[in-house]
Amino acid sequence: MNLLENIRLALEGLRANKMRALLTMLGIIIGIASVMAISTLGSAMTGSVSKTMDKIGGKNISVYLTPKNYDSQATLQPEDYITQDELNSFKETYADQIRAISLSSSLGSGKLNSGYVHKDVSVTGANPDYRLVNNINLVQGRFISDRDIQSSRNVIIIDTTLRNNLVGVNGDPTGMDITVETKNTNETYTIIGVYEKVVIDNPLFNMGDDTRIECFIPITTAKALNSQSTAIPGYENFTIMASANTDTTAFAQITKQYFIKNLGALSDYTIEAQSMEAMVSEATSMLSTLSLGISVIAGISLLVGGIGVMNIMLVSVTERTKEIGIRKALGARNSAIRSQFIIEAIIICLIGGIIGVGLGSVLGVLGSSLLKFPTTPPFTPMIIALCFSMGIGVFFGYYPANKAAKLDPIDALRYE
Amino acid sequence: MRKKIIEMRGIVKSYYLGTPNELEILHGIDLDVYEGEFLSIVGASGSGKSTLMNILGALDRPTQGHFFLDQLPMENVKDEGLSKIRNEKIGFVFQTFNLIPRSSALNNVALPMLYGGKSRSVRTKRAKELLELVDMTARSHHRPNELSGGQKQRVAIARAMANDPAIILADEPTGALDTHTGRMVMDIFHRLHQEQGKTIILITHNTELALETERTIRLKDGSIVENKINEKIQLEGSYESA
Ligand SMILES: Nc1ncnc2c1ncn2[C@@H]1O[C@H](COP(=O)(O)OP(=O)(O)O)[C@@H](O)[C@H]1O
Ligand SMILES: [Mg+2]
Repeated sequence: MNLLENIRLALEGLRANKMRALLTMLGIIIGIASVMAISTLGSAMTGSVSKTMDKIGGKNISVYLTPKNYDSQATLQPEDYITQDELNSFKETYADQIRAISLSSSLGSGKLNSGYVHKDVSVTGANPDYRLVNNINLVQGRFISDRDIQSSRNVIIIDTTLRNNLVGVNGDPTGMDITVETKNTNETYTIIGVYEKVVIDNPLFNMGDDTRIECFIPITTAKALNSQSTAIPGYENFTIMASANTDTTAFAQITKQYFIKNLGALSDYTIEAQSMEAMVSEATSMLSTLSLGISVIAGISLLVGGIGVMNIMLVSVTERTKEIGIRKALGARNSAIRSQFIIEAIIICLIGGIIGVGLGSVLGVLGSSLLKFPTTPPFTPMIIALCFSMGIGVFFGYYPANKAAKLDPIDALRYE
Repeated sequence: MRKKIIEMRGIVKSYYLGTPNELEILHGIDLDVYEGEFLSIVGASGSGKSTLMNILGALDRPTQGHFFLDQLPMENVKDEGLSKIRNEKIGFVFQTFNLIPRSSALNNVALPMLYGGKSRSVRTKRAKELLELVDMTARSHHRPNELSGGQKQRVAIARAMANDPAIILADEPTGALDTHTGRMVMDIFHRLHQEQGKTIILITHNTELALETERTIRLKDGSIVENKINEKIQLEGSYESA
C-alpha cells in the first residue's frame, strides 16, 4: 500500500486529536531536545577547547617545585632550586623532544612614568624562549635576546595599549626611554618591542583576568633588581614547549623523574610536571561526566516517551477496530494494516523528534552563548536524533500495529 | 448455460463456546448462484443470513463443506489470498454503511482501488465516475458525518463497485433507511443489475423488496427452507423501476 497515502492518513488522524498527539510526543520531545542541547553544547566546548589550546600552547608542560606536605612549614633550601646548568643539560639530553624552555620571574607591580603618562604595570623578567612558549605576538621591534640576558640590559617590551598611550596607534616607540618604579626604585628602560595581548575568552581557561599591562624585561635584569631573588641560585618553575610529535603526558613524567633525582632526599619539596593536554582533558572529562548524566535522563525520557507512543497506539487500534474491519472487508492485507499503524507511530515520533531537535538546538545555542562559546547546532547529531526518533516509532509501534493486523475481520466489523 | 459464480455444497458453520458446547449455526447449505443473477436471501433475525454472507464474501471460512467462488475452491486459499479475493471479486454493502469516518466520500470510494494497487490518478478518475453513477458528485468531498443515511448508502454502493467485482453482497442495505430512501437504494441495485449485468445477493427482512428480485432463498434456523423463482419477474422479464 501507498506510503504517501499512509502518511496522509496518519497526519489526518493526528490533526483530529491535536492535544492527544502533543501530549504523546512530550516524552520524545524532551528526550530528543536534551540530547540535541547536549550535543550542541558539547561541540561548542570541544571547538572552543581546541581553539584555545592553539592560543595557549597545547604542547606546553609546566614544571614547578611544590611542597611534599602542605601541612608542614616547608621552606625552599638553596640547593632545591633548579639551576641554569641543570636546565641546559636537560635540554641537551632531550633535544629531540624539547622545542623551547620558558623562564620567568616576576618583579611585581610598578608605576610607569613618561611625560604625562602614568600607568600601573606589572613587570616580568623573561628569557628569549618565553616568547615562543607563551605565544607572544610581537607587532613592533624585537623580543629579549641572549645578549640582553648576558648583559642584563635595561630593555623593555610593552604592549599595544601602552604604545597607544605613549606615541599613538601609528607611532613607533622603539628606542624611547621610559621610567618604571618597582620595589620603590626607579629604573629607566629602553623600549625594544611592542606585543599584542592575546585575549582568551574561554571560561574553561580562566587564568585570572589580569587587567594590568604586562611588560617584559630580561630575566637577569629582573633578578638583579629583586633583592630577594638575587641570592637565589636558580628557578622554582619553568615551562617546556615540547616538539610537535612528542607525547606531552609521557614527557611530563620523564621530566618529573629527571628533576626529582636532583633534589636532595631530605628536601621538603618535590617536582610536579603537568602537561597542558592533561589539564584540558581533566576539564573536558568533567564535562563528559556531566553530559553522560544528562544523556541518561534523556534516555529515560525517550523510553518513557516510547512507551507513551505504544500506549496511545494501542488506544488508537481499539478505537478504530471497526475501521480496521472495514478496511479488511475492502481487501486490505494484514501487512497493509500493519504498515498503516507503524507509519502512524513513526510520524508521531518523527514530529516529536523534529520539535525536539528544534527546541534542543535553540537551547544549546542559547546555553553556549551564555557560557561564551557561540556556536551553530551540529548537523550529524540532528540527523542521528531524527533517525533515532523514527526508530522509536518502529520499535514501540510494532506491537500495536501487529495487534491491529491480526484482528479477525468479522470480529472487528461487529465491534461497537 | 450461464456460468456458476457460486457453488456451495454442505456448508456448515459452528462456533465452539467451550469444549462441550458446539453451536451449529448453518446446517449444510447447498447453494448455486449464476452470473448476472439478482438473488435475495430472507429469513428471521438470527436465522444465519449474515453468517452465510460472511462466508460468501470470503470474510469467514465454513467449518465444513465445499465452496467454489468463480470456480475457485476456497478451502485452498490462504488468508492473504482471501484479502485479494475480497478486493477484486466482492463488493460489500452493509446495513450500517461502514464508511471510514475520517475520509471524504471520494476517498472512501477510492479505498478498495488503493488496496488493489491502482495509481492515484486511476483511483480518482474511477471514484468520480462511480459517484456520478449514484448521483453523489456534489458531495464527493464531504465526510460521512456530513451525509444523510441514503447518501451514505449510495457512497457505500459506489465503493462496492470500485474494482468492478463479480458479486455485490448487500446485507440489509435498506434496514437503516426510511421507505423513500430505501426505494432509491433499491433502484440503484436494479440499475446495476440491468445495465451492468452485476450479480447481486441481497439480504433483507422486507419480503416486498425480495419479490423484486429474480429468486428468493428463505433461511430458517440455519437451513434453506425455500428456493423460489419470482414468477412476476420471470413473466415481465425485468423489473421496471419507478
Ligand atoms: N461469533 C459468534 N459466536 C457465537 N454465535 C454467533 C457468533 N456470530 C453469530 N452467532 C450466532 O449465529 C446466529 C446467526 O446469526 P446471524 O448470521 O447474524 O443472523 P442474521 O443475520 O440472520 O440475523 C445467531 O444466533 C448468533 O447469535
Ligand atoms: Mg444479520
